[in-house]
This record gives sequence, structure tokens and C-alpha cells, in this order.
Amino acid sequence: MIKSYKLRRHLANGFIYLLLAVLGIIWISPFVYLVMHSFRAEGVTTVAYLIPHEWTIQNYIDLFTGAGGTAQLNFPRWFMNTFVVAIFSCIISTISVLMVSYAFSRLRFKARKKFMNVGMILGMFPGFMTMIAIYYLLKAMGLTQTLVALVICYSCGAGLGFQISKGFFDTIPRALDEAATIDGATKNQIFWRIILPMSKPIVVYTVLTSFIGPWTDFILAKIIMLDSRDNYTVAIGLQLMQDQQFKNTYYKQFLAGSVVVAVPISILFLILQRYYVEGVTGGAVKG
Amino acid sequence: MKKILAILLAGMMTATALAGCGDGQTSGDSSNPDSSGTGDAPGLAELDAEGFVDAAELGDETGATIKVWAPDAAVNLTQKMCDAFAEHYADKNISISVVAQGEKDAATQAQSDVDAAADVFGFASDQLDNLINSGVIAECAYTDNVIAMNTEESVKAGTVNDKLYYYPETTNGYFLVYDKSVVSDEKAQKFEDVLAACKDAGKRFIMDAGDGYYSCIFTFTGGVTIDGYADEEQTVQNFVDYDEDTAVATLQAFAQLIKDYKGTFTSLSVDKIASGFADGSCGAGIDGIWDIESDSEKLGENFGATKLPTINVNGEDKAMISMYGYKALGVKSTTKYPLTSAALALYLTGENCQRQRAEQIQWGPTNKTVTEEDVVKNSAALSASVEQSKNSVAQVHITSTFWDPMANLGNQIIADEWDPSNADKTKELLTATIKNIKDE
Repeated sequence: MIKSYKLRRHLANGFIYLLLAVLGIIWISPFVYLVMHSFRAEGVTTVAYLIPHEWTIQNYIDLFTGAGGTAQLNFPRWFMNTFVVAIFSCIISTISVLMVSYAFSRLRFKARKKFMNVGMILGMFPGFMTMIAIYYLLKAMGLTQTLVALVICYSCGAGLGFQISKGFFDTIPRALDEAATIDGATKNQIFWRIILPMSKPIVVYTVLTSFIGPWTDFILAKIIMLDSRDNYTVAIGLQLMQDQQFKNTYYKQFLAGSVVVAVPISILFLILQRYYVEGVTGGAVKG
Repeated sequence: MKKILAILLAGMMTATALAGCGDGQTSGDSSNPDSSGTGDAPGLAELDAEGFVDAAELGDETGATIKVWAPDAAVNLTQKMCDAFAEHYADKNISISVVAQGEKDAATQAQSDVDAAADVFGFASDQLDNLINSGVIAECAYTDNVIAMNTEESVKAGTVNDKLYYYPETTNGYFLVYDKSVVSDEKAQKFEDVLAACKDAGKRFIMDAGDGYYSCIFTFTGGVTIDGYADEEQTVQNFVDYDEDTAVATLQAFAQLIKDYKGTFTSLSVDKIASGFADGSCGAGIDGIWDIESDSEKLGENFGATKLPTINVNGEDKAMISMYGYKALGVKSTTKYPLTSAALALYLTGENCQRQRAEQIQWGPTNKTVTEEDVVKNSAALSASVEQSKNSVAQVHITSTFWDPMANLGNQIIADEWDPSNADKTKELLTATIKNIKDE
């Protein structure tokens, strides 16, 4: 047994830090690999070493100018598609989630509990279960292979994700509502003027999750878009770059593309982060 | 999440569904008699020098808008050919758009929504059964022409129950590619020599032994080849009668050789061959015709290709047997313009177009005339492909249960711990593989 408390503490800490460092390296290495090799000049597909021998930004230039290959892989277009879809579905789903949450949190109406339960149960089914049905419903409306279809799919079901924001709204004292009501505010005014300004963290959370959705969703977009490459999103586009026929041409551009996808999400997060932290701590102090 | 959407849309659906379904039904019904109509009148259609059929063959179809699926490498060329087609029948006012769609997913895409599928689509021959069973593909309307123009094997691969379905477009197989500065043309004839040459040069030999598409070489070479289905439902794979001892001896010979050249023989996906040629780590490999452009680009003058080498089994040099498929065009059974589509498919797979593809994008022809021409003879890769087709098993009528057990066999044999001298174990593996493929 080691008697010295100090030594024991150092040993324990040393072990914990070592473990954390190993876990950290394992976790971060794919990202490091991705970013470093997106700047790699030599080689065609994968290489057997970690640090590139030559560095270049040519992969990024090729990705946006289409100079690297001969085929019709139009990354800028896919990027814009995703961006537009993300913005629209972000706006629609944020508003709808918050409104649904507010209604369930503040209003009392018949079958409120039942609706919440139904919402919970529907939310438990995996999203891809209804994919084929969604496809044929969209087809009946003539919307397949369009970006509108994607916006509809990403935002219309969003209201079902009300639980977290409802939980947040529940923590805001009802006394505020009552005070506002006495001052003559309607429910609508209370929502926009009282509750929303106090709910920045949850608004930010909702905006972020709904904005990220279209960038990461692959399977639904793939099913809806079929062969319409002009309407692809980045996720399907990047997968296409890994197709057998493109791998030898587009591998490094694929890596660059994967890095680029992270950019809009990171920017949005950096902008909103301020409010996020502010809101969280503010809420904590008020208890 | 999307459940609520489904419910909402279900409401809308009730309003629009009847109309929607009705449309689908009627267009399907009305086009079926059309397509069978063309099927009723087979026979040898007259082709002009460029491969066009007489305008009368297009019937009264005018203003046709046709979508064609072609893989990316062929989109531009196919669009040019289609433009030529539209121009030839200028008074028919045909407009054709070529959309990029890889052949390997074509059948899946066409089956998932046949209305959104192309009227004329390129696909790989092993998807034919799916396309026929789902009713997506129409029968070939110019059977006699296709039979007269193309190699017997390519036609046979597209014939099911004595009916020809597709229009053969190109060959689709793999063979030996090598760096001539590492493996001489002479040494490329024997697997032993190829591996020895690679080892001497300190370079890899790459083959994707963990993929059933390539690892079937091990069993096929031993005489264990497949022959269609064993049952009506097309669920059980049929194997030809084979000599188990020969098969086991062949598997052992492969395993021994791979063990002897451990470190040289590497099982990697085929796209590593081109990158290996580029960085000088690869001396030779088994690669498909679709990668030839990038392989030869990386090696330039030193690029060599030939049929798969022989392997010495108990003193006898046996030619390696591969899986060999075709890429073909199919006409959608529900197309609005069956006559124009069929004429277009025939034109696109005709002698003229096959020659252009061989010259410009290195697609191996199935056309008898083009196969004999200089364009094939002067290209190492195209000749290798034609040569390999003679030592091959057609990639048709394969059950979905074929690939995984075959991949497993490949992985087992190349594994470090595998003992090549153990005949009983090898026999056990072969029996288990076949049993699993047959799903017994």
C-alpha cells in the first residue's frame, strides 16, 4: 500500500488523465484525420500514414469549381440546396415546436393529456418506418424529387418534439402569465412578449437541432430525390462521391466536403452560443 | 417525428389518391398492350448504315419525351448519341434527356418508383431477374436484331425462359492488371510468377478476397460453378456437378500460394489498385474494367492487362475462372413511348454506338463485329476482358444468398491462421459455403 496521500492522489490522477487522454485521442482522431487529409496533395484515395507529406487547398478549390473531375458532381449546388432547406425547415420547425410546447405547457383544454400521450407514442416510432408511405404520399401530391418535399418532411413533424421545450416552459412561473393577463395581454401576446424572451436557451437549442437535421439526414433525402442530382443535399452528394465509379477521382474532395459541411453549423453555433450560455446561467440564478 | 406528417398527408391522400391511383392504373394498362404489341411483331428490322431503324417502326409516336439512365462516365457520350437519334427522326419531334444513374443501383431505383424511372435504363446483368419479376422491364422488341449483332454469351445472359429482355451494351468483368516495370508480360500468365515478381520488387498484389464477386474465383477455378436456380421461386442456387477432390485441391493451392506470399498478397478493395499504382506500392492486382481508365492513367506506358493468370494445382496449370457479367439497356414496361424507346435502345447498343464507346470511354463491346476490330485488339484492357470472358461464369441468375458465404470463404482462406495443408478443414469450408449459399 502506498502510504503517502499526495503520491496516491498523483497516481490516481495520473491514471485518470491517461485514461481520459486515450479516450480523447480515440474520439478526436477521425476528425483530425478528416481535416488533415482534406489538405493532402499527394495520393489518390487513402494513404497508410497520418500526416500528409504535401499540403494544398486545391481539394477545396476543386470541390467548389468542379475542376477535379469530369463527372457532374455539383457540390456548390448541393450545398445551397441543403442551406435553403435547412433555413426554411429551421424557421418552420422552431416556431411550430415552441408553439406546441407553449400550448401544452400553459393552456388547459380537453384531451390535452391524451394529445401529449399520442405525441409521445408517435415520437417513439423510428422515423424511417414511414418513409415509403411518405414517399407515396408526396408522389400523390406531385412533390417527389423537390426541395419543398424535404422542407415538409423535416419541419411538419417537428411539433412532436415538444417535450424538452415544454419542460422548460413549465419552469417559468405561471405568476408571470397571470400578471400579464391582469395587464390585459392575450395568450398570444404572452407567448411572444413574455415567454419567448425568457426562453432563449431553449429557442437556441431548437434552432440548432432543426438546422442540423437537413445537413445530416441521409436516408429520407435519398429516397425522395432518387435520380434528381440537381436537388441532392450534401449528405447524399457526399455518399455519391464515395461510389465505386467516383472514389478514385473524388476521395480527397469528399474529405474536403465533409469539413465544409461542418462550417455553417459551427458558425450558427458560435453566433448563438452567447445566448445559449447567457440563458442557461440566467435561468439557473433565478431558480 | 414524421408520424404526424403521415397522418396529415393521409387526409390529403384521401382527397387526391383516387385521382392519383387512377392515373397510374390507366397509364399502366394502356401501355401494356402497346409493349406486348411490339413484342408480337419480332423479326429482323432493317437497319441503315448508322444503325437506325426505319421511321415506320416508331409508329405514330410523336413528341416523345424520353429519359435515359447512363452511368456518369457515359453521360456525355450517351447524350450525344441520343441527340443524333433525335435528329435522325427530326419529324418525330423526340426530346431525350440523359440522367446520370449508376448501373449498380439502377434496378433498385427503378423498382422503388417505376414512374420516376427512366424509359431506357442501363443496368448490370445480375439485376435482370429482379427487373423481370417486378415487371419493370419490357421484353426486347428487336430480339432477332440483338441476337444477330451480339455475342452468344451476352444474349444468353439476357434470356430468361426463352425470352430476351435486354439490349446488351458492354462487358462487365475483371482481369489482371499489372505494372509492366514490375511484372513482365510473360510472367503475367502465371499466378505464381506474378506474386514472385511483386515480392521481388517489394510491391503488393491486390485482390479483394473479402468480396464474393472476386473470391468466387477460388471455387470457380476448382470447378464449383453456378448454373441458374434450382427451384421455381428462384431462391436456391444451383451448382454444377463438380469433383470435390479437385475443388479442395484448388482451394488448397490458392491458400498455400497466398500464405507463401504473405505480405505481398493483400486483400483490399479494388480502388486501392489505382492509388497503389500511383504511389508505387502496388505491382499488380485483379481489377474491373470500370477502373481501367484510372489504372492506365496512373501507369501510362507501363500499364499492362491480361486475362487472369493460371494457378498450378498438383502440377497442372489451371486457368482461373471468374465471374463475368454484362451491362445492358432495358426498356421500362410502363413507358409511354414503347416503340421509340425500343428503337433508341437498339440504336444505343448497336454496332456504331458500341464502337464509339470502345474508342472513347473504353467500354468492351458485346457486338460481334466490334469485338473483332482493332479498337479491341489494340487495347490491352479490352482484349483482356474479351479473353477473360472465355474463362468465366455468367453473372446472371444469382441468389442474394450467394455473396456473403462466398466472401466468408475468401476471408477464411486468406486468413493468417488458415492451414492450407488441411484438406479436411478445406472440404468442410467448401461444404459449409455451398450449404449456406443454398440456404439449407
